[in-house]
Amino acid sequence: MSIIMDHVNYIYEADTPMAVAALKDVCLEFAEGEFVGIIGHTGSGKSTLIQHLNGLLKATSGHIYFHGEDIYDKEYDRKKLRSKVGLVFQYPEHQLFEVDVFSDVCFGPKNLGLGKKEVELRAYEALRQVGMPDELFYQSPFELSGGQKRRAAIAGVLAMKPEVLILDEPTAGLDPKGRDEILGQIKKLQQETGMTILLVSHSMEDVAEYVDRIIVMNQGSVLYDGQPREVFRHYRELEEIGLAAPQVTYILHSLKEKGLDVDVDATTVGEAVETVMQALARFRKTNL
Amino acid sequence: MGIVKTSDVTYEYIVRNEEGNVERIVTAVDQVDLDIAPGEFVAIVGHNGSGKSTLAKQFNAILHPTEGTVWVDGMDTAQEENVWNVRQTAGMVFQNPDNQIIGQVVEEDVGFGPENMGIPTREIWERVEESLRAVGMYAYRKHSPSRLSGGQKQRVSIAGVLAMHPKCIVLDEPTAMLDPNGRKEVIRAVRGLNQVEGITVILITHYMEEVIYADRVFVMDQGKVAMTGTPREIFSQVERLKELRMDVPQVTLLAHELKKRGVALPDGILTAEELAEYLTGA
Repeated sequence: MSIIMDHVNYIYEADTPMAVAALKDVCLEFAEGEFVGIIGHTGSGKSTLIQHLNGLLKATSGHIYFHGEDIYDKEYDRKKLRSKVGLVFQYPEHQLFEVDVFSDVCFGPKNLGLGKKEVELRAYEALRQVGMPDELFYQSPFELSGGQKRRAAIAGVLAMKPEVLILDEPTAGLDPKGRDEILGQIKKLQQETGMTILLVSHSMEDVAEYVDRIIVMNQGSVLYDGQPREVFRHYRELEEIGLAAPQVTYILHSLKEKGLDVDVDATTVGEAVETVMQALARFRKTNL
Repeated sequence: MGIVKTSDVTYEYIVRNEEGNVERIVTAVDQVDLDIAPGEFVAIVGHNGSGKSTLAKQFNAILHPTEGTVWVDGMDTAQEENVWNVRQTAGMVFQNPDNQIIGQVVEEDVGFGPENMGIPTREIWERVEESLRAVGMYAYRKHSPSRLSGGQKQRVSIAGVLAMHPKCIVLDEPTAMLDPNGRKEVIRAVRGLNQVEGITVILITHYMEEVIYADRVFVMDQGKVAMTGTPREIFSQVERLKELRMDVPQVTLLAHELKKRGVALPDGILTAEELAEYLTGA
């Protein structure tokens, strides 16, 4: 079990009249190697939640365990936690600063106090993991395209060799191909290295396509937690809290209304193609 | 002449190395000819770096073409004396609402534009009210912008542009940072302005499902207009769009995949209802 959140509460500006409860009694477990999507409207507590996982925010009450150890324990090395739980913020390319891509990725592991050789090995491996072409390694990060900059920034976190990688909207502002490339690369990383991945996203289509489990946050609490097809079954309730289901869910419901016996729980275009083909075969048989 | 017209517009910038010597010249916009009619709803899509934002900034005189001419409502944007009128005629809304809101109170923020134009106070209040009503934010007029959701903030930004009574609104990825509901709110507000108020809309976006409401779509690639047509004409070419790093709405993609599996369907299906009709023969 890699992370356990046990009755975690967080109140912004506690003990003042401005106090706002941002997390309310959150209990979650993240298993090793899981690919989890976290969705919720702006202000639902997603960002507050992920900032607890690497110790950036400290819970007002409750406990968080990483590999069975309480991270709020006095003896616990929270600096180490930050290298084990890597957090990629929104628009991470705003944090690039070095003269070339390679030096930028080296910055993190260098600060861990590793030797030059180890640092460079890690940087090289991280850049390969995000699919950065070799010829861009010694380019200024500021001359890269939006998608490449984003990759460089993610590589900077990967070079710390985290066991858990948390990404806050890693595809915001990228073109459709760029979105697919980055998410495809992350999925590959999860499959090849067994890294635990937490993906915060506003795109229901992306979440449906890539993750194994979805957590829906609403007003600081966990509203749903399950496989995409289970969670998106509640699409009416999701709409009420400012979210939606992937477009295919609506398409399938509309096909069902028109008399096609499709499986409305399909959440990706691939799944939808299969269920529509099957339904069409049945439909034609009965209407011949 | 349309409300926004470009003739042979090229925009180049120079990349210098650390010593300040010219390293290379980048052509971000390459000989673009557009003619957008008053009241039209136009969408511009294209991959990151395709030149769409650079092009949009020409419509608002933030950038001037290196070669060619841009006219906004007949005014040449390169003429210094036209700049203020151009910006008033073609208002611009950017990606991040937090960078555009300055007022402590919603109505104050919306009044900022007309106040700077020297509009009499009474008329400013009238404009603030009508603009906030047009985007459905009148109930929040006394609120602090910092307490609003992303979609609400973005609608306040749009109201701020509206209060300057533009003939045209240019929106540069206004929904990129919003949650699904925020995206819906903003697009609904934008369509309302176009259909009810008759304001010309130029929408730049990466979300293909927002494009289906446009009268015309331009797909940019390497600074040039690579494709142009109605949403249906554009989305009929799934493979070509994929080459240009673009996407199609999921319903169009589903129909395209079904067609590949032998189901008889036309190209460029845009709604679930259409797909259902073709599949069931109803």
